[in-house]
Amino acid sequence: MEAERALEAGKAVVLNSVEFSYGELKILKGVSLEVDAGSAIAIMGRSGSGKTTLLKIIAGLLRPERGSVRVQGLDIYRDGSRHIWGRIAYIPQSIGLIEGASALYNVLIARAPEHLLNFIIGFWSRGDVRDAMEALRIVGLDGKARIRVDRLSGGERQRVAIARALFQRASIVLADEPVSNLDRDTAENVVRILAGLSRNGVTVISVLHDLDLALSYFSRVYVLSDGRLREIV
Amino acid sequence: MRIITPMVIITASLAYILGLLEPSMWAKAGRNLAIFISQLGFEESLLEEALAAAYETVLLSLVGVSLGTIIAYLASPLTTPAISSPRLSGVFRLIASGIRSIPAIFWAILFVILVGPGPRAGALALSIYTSAYLTKLFYESLESIPQEHIDTLRVIGLRGLSLSMALYTHIRRQVLSNILFMLEYNVRTATILGFVGAGGVGYYILHYVSLLNYPAVVTFIMVTTVFVILIDTISYILRTRLS
Repeated sequence: MEAERALEAGKAVVLNSVEFSYGELKILKGVSLEVDAGSAIAIMGRSGSGKTTLLKIIAGLLRPERGSVRVQGLDIYRDGSRHIWGRIAYIPQSIGLIEGASALYNVLIARAPEHLLNFIIGFWSRGDVRDAMEALRIVGLDGKARIRVDRLSGGERQRVAIARALFQRASIVLADEPVSNLDRDTAENVVRILAGLSRNGVTVISVLHDLDLALSYFSRVYVLSDGRLREIV
Repeated sequence: MRIITPMVIITASLAYILGLLEPSMWAKAGRNLAIFISQLGFEESLLEEALAAAYETVLLSLVGVSLGTIIAYLASPLTTPAISSPRLSGVFRLIASGIRSIPAIFWAILFVILVGPGPRAGALALSIYTSAYLTKLFYESLESIPQEHIDTLRVIGLRGLSLSMALYTHIRRQVLSNILFMLEYNVRTATILGFVGAGGVGYYILHYVSLLNYPAVVTFIMVTTVFVILIDTISYILRTRLS
């Protein structure tokens, strides 16, 4: 076991022959993948090819039929996915923000598991508020911290989700088509911030549709096709 | 039209069985209505008592809503499979459904037996009924949240109470709207809980009906109606704004 973990040193995510089906439809047919800690990779593929399924499996939300999934050295489906929750940030296609709440609230919520009492009474320490504001500043939204997220644009909402991942101190960020509904300039801005997280040691795995953006900002690009993952760059 | 014909046949048959088609009954009703109208009036001397009774009615409605909301707030996540387990949520839904299937006035009778007559029995009856009804409304709202949202929060590490609180924030407009809806329901229901001794204006109405003091009955009904309309209107405006 120790030897196995030693071999995986420096790997944030290791998938080994992962298979998954929806009923009769086999969507993943033995996907293997190794992602270095602190790297940024993009996964591309047609709609319905299994990209979201793959991200959910890495996040510990879907159990594969076969194969193993190790995240930061833990076999999440053997040891329990709860052990890695809190270290991962998952940004789904719908972004997953709390509607009707401010951008600041949506960022602060990332530390609710650590500061449950603060979350329940709605009173956060100055340090937490300062850190959350700093995360919003990094994504260029400190001026809109008190605005409700349902009043923000699509690009701004994506950046709130990224700020939340920063504030959460997540070591792995999984983003599912984070720029699918954004114009080119906004999309590039969001992808630049997202991929830039890797400079701080965060591992970024993002599903993308835009090959140019993937090639420009991600160190490795994979294509998921016919249930298998191929590295193209 | 297809639905109207059978409905007319069913209504006529049932009205015949219940004796609603007997002319003598309608003749008697007409005579009683004339007596009732001739004795109508407004007893100013009872205004203070009527206002106090209406106030008590509103008060026990508010207690019912506030206590019922607290219970439903804690119970609803347990009835939502995406938050608790499917088996546990099934059990809690069954309990909530059972409580909800018993009308508030029956709960009032039970609490009159348990704690004695008065507004406390009414407040407890409304609380338990409200908690079960709001539990249903809350879990329906919780279930409307896309699974992806719940997944995102679970991956952050939220679970149990913290996950529920985050999700309640997401649906807070529906939650507030549901609470206001129950307040309207409670105010109307509270007016009749007094018929079984559970406090509120119903007790006085029944008392004056038994004394055939119709002006007093009218006074209490009018004051209560003003209160109910006022609360209904405020609640309706707030709910419309929320939606």
